[in-house]
Amino acid sequence: MDVSSHKQDKFFIVRVSGRLDATTSPEFEKSCLEWIGQGESMFIVDMKELEYMSSAGLRSILVVGKKIKSEGGTLAFTSLTPNVNHVFSISGFGSMFKVHDSLETALKNS
Amino acid sequence: MRSRTIAFKLVVFTLSGTMAIFVSAFACVYFSSKASMMRYVEMNARNATHAAAYQIESVLRGIEKVPLNYAALLTSGDCKPAALAMLPEQMVSTNPEIFGAAIAFEPGASGPGSLYYAPYCYRGKNGGLKNVMLGNESYDYFTMDWYQIPEQLGRAAWTEPYYDEGGGNETMATFSVPFYKVLQGKNKFQGVVTADVALRGLKQIVSSTRLNKSGYSFLITRNGVFVTSPDSTLIMTNSIFSVAEEKHSALLRRIGRKMIAGGEGFAALPKGLLYPGKCWLYYTPLPSIGWSIGIVTPEGVMLADVLRFSRMVILIGLLGVCLMALIVMLIAKRISKPIKDLSATTLEIARGNLNATLPDIHRGDEIGALARSFEDMRVALKDYIENLTQTTAAKERIESELKIAGRIQMSFLPKAFPPLPGKTPVDIAARLEPARQIGGDLYDYFLLDDDHLFFTVGDVSDKGIPAALFMAVTKTLLKGIAEKGMSPSEILDKCNLELIGGNDSMMFVTLFCAILDLRSGRLRYSNAGHEHPFILRREGPLETLPIPEGFVLGVNEDAGYQTMEVELKPGDRLIVYTDGVTEAVNGAGEFYAHQNLISVLESCGSLCAEGIVSRILDSVKTFSSGVPQADDITLLAVSLTGPKL
Repeated sequence: MDVSSHKQDKFFIVRVSGRLDATTSPEFEKSCLEWIGQGESMFIVDMKELEYMSSAGLRSILVVGKKIKSEGGTLAFTSLTPNVNHVFSISGFGSMFKVHDSLETALKNS
Repeated sequence: MRSRTIAFKLVVFTLSGTMAIFVSAFACVYFSSKASMMRYVEMNARNATHAAAYQIESVLRGIEKVPLNYAALLTSGDCKPAALAMLPEQMVSTNPEIFGAAIAFEPGASGPGSLYYAPYCYRGKNGGLKNVMLGNESYDYFTMDWYQIPEQLGRAAWTEPYYDEGGGNETMATFSVPFYKVLQGKNKFQGVVTADVALRGLKQIVSSTRLNKSGYSFLITRNGVFVTSPDSTLIMTNSIFSVAEEKHSALLRRIGRKMIAGGEGFAALPKGLLYPGKCWLYYTPLPSIGWSIGIVTPEGVMLADVLRFSRMVILIGLLGVCLMALIVMLIAKRISKPIKDLSATTLEIARGNLNATLPDIHRGDEIGALARSFEDMRVALKDYIENLTQTTAAKERIESELKIAGRIQMSFLPKAFPPLPGKTPVDIAARLEPARQIGGDLYDYFLLDDDHLFFTVGDVSDKGIPAALFMAVTKTLLKGIAEKGMSPSEILDKCNLELIGGNDSMMFVTLFCAILDLRSGRLRYSNAGHEHPFILRREGPLETLPIPEGFVLGVNEDAGYQTMEVELKPGDRLIVYTDGVTEAVNGAGEFYAHQNLISVLESCGSLCAEGIVSRILDSVKTFSSGVPQADDITLLAVSLTGPKL
């Protein structure tokens, strides 16, 4: 898994690629919590290159989401791959979080 | 190749270095001492030759003076021949170097009518002086060299050596001085005054002149004839040139020419020329008589000192080398012994005795440093191993606790047989294969009353102990909450609220739960973020069970679970599973995925619940073929066998 980030307008774009599972999700969680600690609040997670997400990955998203919510920020997801989309829709994450087809629509609608 | 010890290598390297230095130093010393010895020998030879030459010269000069004086006297004075008769005896008796002396007159010069007049005095065999008158028909002295040469040359001259037959009967050389009578302002030759030198006397001087016992000296005349030589056959009969001729030596001929030309020199001669072996010749002229004296010194003798010196140097050198070998060996032993001790101890440490005492740790040198390093390593190893032992013990304890925890976890899952009271018209089978010792998956089934079977399959987020605890909590909650008359969504709502309380770590569980009416076959179910179950009808294609939306349990208070219904006929089988099945990975990193699961299910025909569960598990195991299981695998299959009797 690789996590990278950049700022675009007021949004903080997090790009995550590879596998988000029990092994890698603690790193993802830690990076995101650090960014929140640095004052970032408008998160958009770009999952264009995320191949797989396990329940551990979902949990780390919950942790990050809860933290952002408590800081008064927003969290949205874009460009879900079919695998991840399936996990999102089954688990109900799709209805709990904002999910966009592309980064452009995410930037426009958030 | 056999490995050599440090001592051996040190000795070999040091000695070969030393030997090389010694050999080159020896060669330098040998050649320079040989050269200086040669210079020394040459100087000695020159000195000895000069001394002998000087001695002979002084003898000859002494002899020359006498006739010169008498000739001058005779030329200036008018001596009566009768008075002259005593002069030779006077000359001989007052000059011990003179063998014989004569005054020989021209015919008629001594007095009218007399042809020969030559009184001669010489030393007889017994040492007494003998006076004779020379000159008769058999001894016509006018033809003799000693008479003719000075007459012809008009000055004093030495003759070549000769044997004076009829005179002194001795091998001698004669110095003759002409004397004159002045007539009308002109010198008229009157005769010669002679002095003889016996070669015996010169021979003593010459033969006593040599550099050492093996060498010798010789005298040659202005023609190269040997006058004295240890080889008596050469004397008076052979010249240096005839020897050169005989030996075919151009070198000797060249040297002979230089010698008779009055030259002086030092030359090396090959063996067999003037000496059986190689030799050196120093020669110098006797200017007065025109002869030359040579000293022959054998090279072997000359170099004897050098050789002796060299032998001594070699002996000292060899002794030194042996001594050095001994010292180096001792030093090497001294150096290598602590290393050996250290090596033995470290070997002991390597074999596991971490309490071995290292030697030499108090030394100040490199060995001490090495020993201290080893000591540090030993202590570090000991600490590490103790640490490791403790850690391993702790880990083993945890492992065993986990194993027990896993057994406990498995033990509170319902067993397959006997699953339910005997007459229940249900065929149910379930299996949970944890990825680790304890898992986060769960399943359960129990009768709410005689006609209602509750069953559930769930998957806690993440794995390990937290997941296992969360699983235990969830399962216990469900067991406590599920009651007759409650809908599945109500059960989920209640359970969700219970789980949310204090769930800071955001653990959650996906869960499918259902209540099967055993009389009607009506299945009421609800879902909290779990995978779609499948329905394998007794007849007809495989169906995916539609599920209501619903968020995972334990996170969101407003999850809004809903209940849906489906009818199961006897022989229809419902299969519920966790994502450990579809996300099993093979060696190529591919997922088992829904496609594989679907095709296995489609091949199941009329298999019973247990058969289906086993077939799916076998298929997953074959697929992942040795790749470690990443997630817990849970399968539950249920079917209605018929209306309750």
